[in-house]
Amino acid sequence: MADRIVLTVGTKKGVFVAEAARARQRFKLRGPHGPGVPVYATFVDTRGTPRVYASSCNPFFGMKVLRSTNLGKSFEETTSAPAFAGGDGRALANIWSIEAGPDKKELWCGVEPAALFRSTDRGDSWEMMPGISDHEHARKWQPGNGGLCMHTIVRDGNRVHLGISTGGHYLSEDGGQTFQASNTGVGAGFAPDPYPEFGQCVHKIARHENAPGRLYMQNHGGWAEWTGPGGPRPDIGVLRSDDYGRSWRSIAKGLPSDFGFPIVVHPHDPDTVYVVPLAPSTRTCPDGAPAVWRSENGGDSWKRRARGFPKKDTYFTVLRDAMTVDEVKAPALYLGTTTGQLWIGRDGGEQWECLFDSLPPIHNVKVAVV
Amino acid sequence: MSSPTVTFHVLGQLRTYCDGAEQLSVTAATVRAALEDLERSQTALYRNICDETGTVRRHLNVFVNSDNVRDLEGVDTALAPGDVVTVLPAVSGG
Repeated sequence: MADRIVLTVGTKKGVFVAEAARARQRFKLRGPHGPGVPVYATFVDTRGTPRVYASSCNPFFGMKVLRSTNLGKSFEETTSAPAFAGGDGRALANIWSIEAGPDKKELWCGVEPAALFRSTDRGDSWEMMPGISDHEHARKWQPGNGGLCMHTIVRDGNRVHLGISTGGHYLSEDGGQTFQASNTGVGAGFAPDPYPEFGQCVHKIARHENAPGRLYMQNHGGWAEWTGPGGPRPDIGVLRSDDYGRSWRSIAKGLPSDFGFPIVVHPHDPDTVYVVPLAPSTRTCPDGAPAVWRSENGGDSWKRRARGFPKKDTYFTVLRDAMTVDEVKAPALYLGTTTGQLWIGRDGGEQWECLFDSLPPIHNVKVAVV
Repeated sequence: MSSPTVTFHVLGQLRTYCDGAEQLSVTAATVRAALEDLERSQTALYRNICDETGTVRRHLNVFVNSDNVRDLEGVDTALAPGDVVTVLPAVSGG
């Protein structure tokens, strides 16, 4: 029986790994590995012998993929990292997501500028997947503040959902061979046409395997006060689809802000979903009081969960990949902040506790039970 | 006229990509040709210095002896016998 909780924490200064017994009373921290180098993507691969992967986005010497076979006690570079072919004209700027591919040794990787790569040998060699990387829209996507990144890869059998900022949501129904923009109902508050075919600034997409066809999305909201063309757009930030991502509708009503980055689904209940609303102007905790908001009915209503968080004077940001949830029976959430705090939300987010309070700025938190 | 032989000094943290070599001997008429030689002979090392488009990475500086090629002719800077080419990280960070 799997009995260890392994957290990977990608930071501005390398990757850390925290490990605890299943009760999660005390976490032991290892790292930083790849020290001094930003890490935007981590992945704990539990298929067979657990392996931990991390992107290492070296501003001097380029992108690397790090791999650990001992739960983060040490890492080694894989033989190669994703790279565009000579003559393509694009150069890899960052690695934003690493996820499991369909075969046991297969990894998929979303990068900046937005493109998708695949490895069939656990990260030692990579090939670009042209269906999205050379999509007719690809050269029209524009970078958001974080860069032109493919940050979300959600696989569901032959369906593949991709989140691109700013490109929007793309759907494949043939295992990733071909993709179509699928953004009906996904708003772009920063564009004169608030509902374009593509070009939305999707922040994160999540699903639960027991709710076929349903997806949740944190989109770039924060346009409730907008007075420009088209008027206020108060409800484009938090969305839900019930038709495999073909169309989307707002579930933002009841939240203090529809701006945020991560969105996470409860591991045992597809109706329970979590977001971290942020003040649109500062992208920090509204009124200086951090809170995670939880819906237990698929987004029809929301409840604020803040027990254990500071009640004032706190202005951190939680980035798109910096919140996750484990799969223990009474699951815990974990979130990392741009101020370097790693928090645990026990009992499904009822009670929050700071595990580590002085890490480097946190980009990414993933968890696995091994 | 044959190309000059120059020394390519390898930064400590990059030596893992060229079997620990501190310096490499390269025969090349320009910095560009030296980099192209590295692409063929030391691919892993080259990938740390240049991106997929062949451009020297943004936060690296290339020196010929003590001169930054940015102040000379860039990667088209001519090389002379005995020159030392060094790649160093720019002063940046935070």
